[in-house]
Amino acid sequence: MIEIVLSIISGVISGLGMGGGTVLILFLSIFLGMDQHVAQATNLVFFIPTAIASSIINIKNKNVNFKVSIVIIIFGVIGSIIGAIVSTKLDVYLLKKIFGAFIIVIALIQLYLWYIRYIKNKNRNNKNIKT
Amino acid sequence: MLKKILVGFLAGLISGFFTAGGGLILVPAFVYILKMDEKTSRATSILCILPMVIVTAIFYNNSHFINWDIALKCALGGVIGAILGTKLLKKIPDKYLKITFIIFLLYAGVNLIIK
Repeated sequence: MIEIVLSIISGVISGLGMGGGTVLILFLSIFLGMDQHVAQATNLVFFIPTAIASSIINIKNKNVNFKVSIVIIIFGVIGSIIGAIVSTKLDVYLLKKIFGAFIIVIALIQLYLWYIRYIKNKNRNNKNIKT
Repeated sequence: MLKKILVGFLAGLISGFFTAGGGLILVPAFVYILKMDEKTSRATSILCILPMVIVTAIFYNNSHFINWDIALKCALGGVIGAILGTKLLKKIPDKYLKITFIIFLLYAGVNLIIK
């Protein structure tokens, strides 16, 4: 039952475009004590149905750029094969540490984007109003 | 073209290695490097990550890392959460939610490294 609650919260975060998958992996390892590999594997299954459903809606609404998609998918699949082979073979302790470093990097990128959107642009807008 | 190849490869590498975070790479890359609008960037990123995730899932399944009982429950929760998310999207102030999320990530990341 708890996994359903955790995945609903992660699904909401996904909808907000903030990395629901990353959060689900953290939740599963923190609250269910799941192994890093198993938590990451769960996230894959978590992602697929939502992604299929939203892609159907997005394609219908003509929000998808297919020209870009084709290139990204071809090289993305090559990249993900390499990534998956390496991570499935990697020691679980090491994978957890690297994942920790990864989410700190993600958080810092998000913090920078947050700053640009809500602080910097807001100041610029205010200046525009004043002048 | 080279930019697209590099962005795709990097997103795939991360998506395959961590099984997550592909969108967090693709969306800013689409917006800031390929100059696409945000709505198209988000929609395109989901479609692009889907095949990467399916390929990664095959490797994880072959290594017996998928606990199908829990995974299917999470898939169900994910669908419910996504529907709720799109409904809540207009009502929640993004700014504070995002900073809360960022602080949670920083805390969790430091914890994973220290422990």
